Amino acid sequence: MTGDFAIETYGLEKIYRSRWSAREIRAVSSVSLRVPAGVKYGLLGANGAGKTTFVKLLLTAVHPTQGEAKLFGRDAREPEARRPVGYLPENHRFPTYLTGYGMLDFYGALSGVEARERKRRIPEFLELVGLKDWAEVRIKKYSKGMLQRLGLAQALLHRPKLLILDEPTDGVDPVGRREIRRVLDGLKEQGVTVFINSHLLSEVESFCEYVAILRSGRVAVEGKISNLLAGRGYRVTASDVPAAALADIRQSGASILPADEGVTIQVTTREEANVVIDKIRAAGGEIESVAASTSSLEDLFMKTAHPDKAA
Amino acid sequence: MRTLIALVADTFQEARARWLFWGLFALSTLLILIFLFVLQIDLAAGAITFLGIETTTRRIYSIQKFVNVSYSWVSIALYVWGTFLAVFASAGLIPSVLEAGRIALLLSKPLRRTSLLLGRYVGNMLIVSLNHIYLVLGVWIILGLKTHIWAPRFLLAIPVSIFLFAVLLSVVVLVGVVSESAALSVMAPVGLSLISVLLAQHKLVIRLLGSEWSRQLWMFFYWILPKVFDLGTAMRQAILFDRHAVWLAPIWTSAAFGIIVLAGALHIFQKRDF
Repeated sequence: MTGDFAIETYGLEKIYRSRWSAREIRAVSSVSLRVPAGVKYGLLGANGAGKTTFVKLLLTAVHPTQGEAKLFGRDAREPEARRPVGYLPENHRFPTYLTGYGMLDFYGALSGVEARERKRRIPEFLELVGLKDWAEVRIKKYSKGMLQRLGLAQALLHRPKLLILDEPTDGVDPVGRREIRRVLDGLKEQGVTVFINSHLLSEVESFCEYVAILRSGRVAVEGKISNLLAGRGYRVTASDVPAAALADIRQSGASILPADEGVTIQVTTREEANVVIDKIRAAGGEIESVAASTSSLEDLFMKTAHPDKAA
Repeated sequence: MRTLIALVADTFQEARARWLFWGLFALSTLLILIFLFVLQIDLAAGAITFLGIETTTRRIYSIQKFVNVSYSWVSIALYVWGTFLAVFASAGLIPSVLEAGRIALLLSKPLRRTSLLLGRYVGNMLIVSLNHIYLVLGVWIILGLKTHIWAPRFLLAIPVSIFLFAVLLSVVVLVGVVSESAALSVMAPVGLSLISVLLAQHKLVIRLLGSEWSRQLWMFFYWILPKVFDLGTAMRQAILFDRHAVWLAPIWTSAAFGIIVLAGALHIFQKRDF
């Protein structure tokens, strides 16, 4: 059922065209992703890989050139589809003339929270992010870390089912990071889907269950981190594997990465590796190698996002 | 409705924080005080003496006429002053909301893009309308107290100025959405108003123009652009009880211009990437 996914995109594409010349920039290219509801999902990629554009496409700040995006099964272009979404943008600019309380009140109203409910929730959320004593201070006096925490409170105030965070700890000191992490950890029990767009690999590795790595606007790798990460499984490299067989293998929970010889399939157990090998051979594919894998998310990221710099 | 109220309230808060709200009211207060001072030096009595109005019957009639003429010109002054001041004050309020990092968050909320822009438009309109009411009422009360002649028609300056501002604000919104420049958002409506004053001289100009196409071009622009001059003239004539005041054409052509420009701004805003 389509509602089981917090985010679904089908062939999502964004091409920026220059107004005065024929120059085109393909920021996002045929991205098809499915983020199951209730999971912590990380989106990784080098600078300019298309991460922020992808998030903006989800929230309709940017219109797709092609493809579609859905939030909890609803077309993302419908305003109601965004009601269960909390968002903390990268490089946000909150109105500096507002106080912390005023800012939460304004964005809470826009998110559809009733006035009486806002009055009750705002002190609660200010306390949650450690800004209770700053409620009546204009936010132009807030530090970067405080602004991030306030932004997080803003994103959570209407109790969203999906939280989209674009570089949530960017520019935040270690103490602020720990505060944000504490708040996010608290969401795990509430079943909130968290979609983090970040370039901090350790953050994604420790918090997320799923990850996708974008390279030049395309999904280069996608899957469960436990499957993708080495040291916990086996890596089967194969060539000439038909697309239908790959789809079948992916459906069984294995992660598939592009490789020089064809594809590399990452699985967790020896039994899964045997099943994958059987499927590949049954489909007429060639097994190039089978090995126990030992890489980290950083290795995976370097290999995927920066193949030229990978060791 | 909750969304619209929040957006309007935010526009008020921003105008207050940027001192635009208080600046507008301070300048209006200054103008009211200037009127108070001018009337303190008994300008009306001086003018009556200067005009040599002597006999009682004629004097009453002439004072009435003099006050009406004064009211009509004061209304024009307020119309020009209030409208242009309002345009200057409003110009930054559209580009500010389009700043990267601010607009992305606003667009992530469950609201339509049209609501977002219209919220700003309505907020601006309310701020300026309050200021116009304060300014015109203030001057009217001072003139009335001083001359003991209460000319309710003078209050026409309120709806006419607000109407003109609504039209010019649509230009501010369009230019703001396209260029995100506060400076350009001021220049466009002010420039348009000056051109409109020039185009309004069509009766004289078409006699001077040599070719038919240039005359038609002049009239074409005259009809499609807002009638800043004609609206002011009609207001002045109405205050003078002049039956020849022409309201209909200036109102509907200006309203049509404002609606089309605002619809264009909304359309562009809908299509834009942020």
